[in-house]
Amino acid sequence: MNRAVSRLAYRVILRLHPASFRDEFGSEMQWIFEQERQPGAAAHLFLDGTLSLLRQRFKSQNSHGQLSIASGVIITGPGIAPVRFFQAALTLSLLCFGLMLLKLPNPLNASVTWADRMPCYTVTLQAPSHAEVVLQSAP
Amino acid sequence: MLAKNAKNPPLSSATLHILLALAGGNLHGYGIIKEVVRNSDGHYRLGPGTLYDNLKKLINAGLVADVPTSSSSTRKAASAKEEDRRFFSLTREGKDVLSREVDRLQGVVTKARARLQEARTGRA
Repeated sequence: MNRAVSRLAYRVILRLHPASFRDEFGSEMQWIFEQERQPGAAAHLFLDGTLSLLRQRFKSQNSHGQLSIASGVIITGPGIAPVRFFQAALTLSLLCFGLMLLKLPNPLNASVTWADRMPCYTVTLQAPSHAEVVLQSAP
Repeated sequence: MLAKNAKNPPLSSATLHILLALAGGNLHGYGIIKEVVRNSDGHYRLGPGTLYDNLKKLINAGLVADVPTSSSSTRKAASAKEEDRRFFSLTREGKDVLSREVDRLQGVVTKARARLQEARTGRA
């Protein structure tokens, strides 16, 4: 990978760390990244940086009882569980939707695509038009 | 709770290696990483994320301290470009904790050797 690109990617990982940790150690971590020039060091640093990001975010979440999202939006208290559920559902949905768009064959049965296996998306996509029909028929 | 864990053996591998590296003198973060690689003959490699996460715990526990910027004697080995880095030192309490951990490990090794010896003589 190009050095400039990897440097930028590492900077992004550092930027996503909680502000308190980033302000205290961010410049030192960036400096160490610049010093490490051994072959294979970049992959090790990226893995370490990603694990550190997850660790610091988890700690930050636990210590303050709130979920701080990278964009700066803070959701507190009992809203965390529904938000996590929603995030997991959204990620899974996007993954399935991506597979549908790609029309990848089902590994268990090559003749059946993922689109054939997931009729729920047809229902979801048709829901707005159904709602429209209901509204029109109400009066 | 984290501070309490950092003080009480058994220490984690990262904590043990960091304390061991700092026992040789004051070092900045990259210096600690290099020292850990050297002490472990290249078998253990700390990343900066793991290093600073552990250093933060150790500082909070009072086992490691920041070296003041003006303390030039402790930084004489550092090159010009390393001078503005953040240096760390082992506190007295840090030395005590490291010493206790080394004693504990020595006890484990002694017992392990005795067990292995018994197993060998039992087989013979």
